[in-house]
Amino acid sequence: MSEPIPGVFQRLGEITRQLHDTLGQVGQPRLEQLAGQLPDARSRLGYVSGKTGDAAEKVLNLVDLAKAEQARINERIRELTDAIGSPAPLDVDSTIDRLPSRIEAALQEIDSASRRTDEHLSAIMLAQDFHDLTSQVMRKVVQLATDLEDQLLKLLLQAAPATSLPLPNAYGGPAIDADRRSDVVTNQKQVDELLASLGF
Amino acid sequence: MISTSSNASELRFLVVDDFSTMRRIVKGLLKEIGYVNADEAADGAEALNMLRRTKYDFIVSDINMPNIDGFGLLSEVKADDDLKHLPVLMVTAEARKEDILRAAQEGAAGYVVKPFTKATLEDKVTKILQKMAR
Repeated sequence: MSEPIPGVFQRLGEITRQLHDTLGQVGQPRLEQLAGQLPDARSRLGYVSGKTGDAAEKVLNLVDLAKAEQARINERIRELTDAIGSPAPLDVDSTIDRLPSRIEAALQEIDSASRRTDEHLSAIMLAQDFHDLTSQVMRKVVQLATDLEDQLLKLLLQAAPATSLPLPNAYGGPAIDADRRSDVVTNQKQVDELLASLGF
Repeated sequence: MISTSSNASELRFLVVDDFSTMRRIVKGLLKEIGYVNADEAADGAEALNMLRRTKYDFIVSDINMPNIDGFGLLSEVKADDDLKHLPVLMVTAEARKEDILRAAQEGAAGYVVKPFTKATLEDKVTKILQKMAR
């Protein structure tokens, strides 16, 4: 994901404050409220960007590791093929004695590499969970944009005073600013401790 | 009655989440843990339809879903004599303490916050099943 253009977020913040102040002066409480939510929307988009970038990097690293394991497997298979297919040297007895142990060693290494590859693939699958989290966050931003557009249109058309809109989704979704809040948990350990402290 | 079989592969899970990627992830992890029978539902309403037609042993549910959400599903399950025995494990991005407490008070068997690890999911499912078997 590309880095945000420097100064864009700062400029957006300035525009937001101006809009907020102007709407307050104009006397559009609902619009003022929505404009006040724009910094939150900015944070949410930053969260999405971060999560997406982290997931992409994690997956690429795991792919590198898995490909390395596959290369090891292929190399062992080639060695085995060569060993089995090559003409018997003069010291036949010695070679024949060593072949089974070489095969066994190679198969063990192939088995280990295969298991590690499987683990990397599982980790890649799990890394896709960012999509769920970011989508929930994006939904809120889209809802804000929709509400803002709706209110701005009403203002422009000089329609009836803003009616009360449905309350936004009651759920908070992923806590993108957990370090600044005391009403959310940040990891499973805190969930378990909270429940245990209340006897659950 | 919940299945008394100790064979993990015989237990039937219902994974409820409005996000198909997350349903795939949870199903995939359950399979890796050993629970190979898992169906999917996209929201609480679909889950209830499935629960009333098919026998399940365990429910893994998100909270924030359209139609009937996770708390609605939990409430319906616990109010239904044929379903109330089913353990409901909440697996959700909702990290607010009030949601965690509400889930516990309303009968959820456990609560896992996203993002989570395979080890966490396995730990919670195992403990819940062990508790149910006692």
